Amino acid sequence: MGGASRNERKRRQEAAAQRLASAGIQVPQRANNTSLIIVVAVVVAAVLAGGVVLYLRNAGTVATVTPAYAATSSGAVVTAGSGKPTIDVYEDFLCPNCEIFEKAYGNEIVSALNDGKLTVRFHSIAILDKRSSPAGYSTRAANAALCAVPAGTYPAYHQKLFASQPSEGSAGLTDDQLVEFGSQLGAKGDFAGCVKGAKNAAAVTAETQKAVANPAAQTNGVFGTPTVIANGTQVNLNNTNWLKDILAAG
Amino acid sequence: MNRTPVLDLVGTVARVALAAVWLVSGTLKAIDLDQTVVAVRAYDVLSRGAADVVAAVLPFLEIAIGLLLLLGIGVRLVAVASALLLLVFIAGVAQSWARGLSIDCGCFGGGGAVAPQATAYLQEIVRDTGFLALAAWLIARPHTLLSVDARLSAGRT
Repeated sequence: MGGASRNERKRRQEAAAQRLASAGIQVPQRANNTSLIIVVAVVVAAVLAGGVVLYLRNAGTVATVTPAYAATSSGAVVTAGSGKPTIDVYEDFLCPNCEIFEKAYGNEIVSALNDGKLTVRFHSIAILDKRSSPAGYSTRAANAALCAVPAGTYPAYHQKLFASQPSEGSAGLTDDQLVEFGSQLGAKGDFAGCVKGAKNAAAVTAETQKAVANPAAQTNGVFGTPTVIANGTQVNLNNTNWLKDILAAG
Repeated sequence: MNRTPVLDLVGTVARVALAAVWLVSGTLKAIDLDQTVVAVRAYDVLSRGAADVVAAVLPFLEIAIGLLLLLGIGVRLVAVASALLLLVFIAGVAQSWARGLSIDCGCFGGGGAVAPQATAYLQEIVRDTGFLALAAWLIARPHTLLSVDARLSAGRT
């Protein structure tokens, strides 16, 4: 029934078009093309807007604050800076959210450390060892970062590891690459031996187990990275002013 | 009795509703572009670089689709694009659910990892399916009232 009436309508439209054509009247067929052109133009504009955002974001990450703070380590915990407010930062060098955290707050943290307004205890965590292939990049990277403390290059090395973070599922940076970063940053002593000898691997494992079992570091019973603890309670990182609030409170 | 005006009205409501969905979701994503990066990466499907590209383009693409629907330009084509995008979203949420990730879909801003009991995968999929139905109507019957399409084709009945 519906099909029959549709056919009937089509037949009449065609007949009408024929009559118009025989009378010398051109029926404009551009209507659909006009819509298509507008659609394409608007979509291209949207993609361009996205491209501008990407460009600006990548341009912005180049300007990292140069760290000038002192760092000491005990086990797998690196204590940085000398300010009164103290925070505990738990990071895994393979964790994508840690990289985003560093991108968002790294400069702010380094500035506060440089200015002596903050003390950070960086906990070198390896919970994502299974997310690299072969497994174990998290531990290797955490070990290398701890090797950088006696080598005198931890602050810059920490930034470098996040700036060069490999993707989950990849092999990660090789030991040679980890050593090379140290050389570039002027590592002193037997940095290569420390990295390749996995001198701090046991400390990283112990610190990871301690963090996973720490109720204050858990969210609903699960430990994840990045986690920041201040005054014994977990910091809500959804509040983009979390660090300013801590610095203001002194 | 002629059903065409009623069907046109239903289509118009579907078109404006779907336009509102895209405009709101796109705007909320565009307001907090960094959060959108977190949201897209949290699906753990794309490489970092690809996720960053998607996170940068998606908000503006959604706004573009919303504007085109609101004005009624290329309704069928834009409805097809809407449906494809919604299918991608549903697939993304479904794979997160199947793999046991704990994330918020970030459909209307927000997104990223959440506590396991705070996930809402079923609600998110049901909601997207509802939006998909709006798109399906417009694909099947793109003729609506107050559209630029109708105005452009007014000359050739």
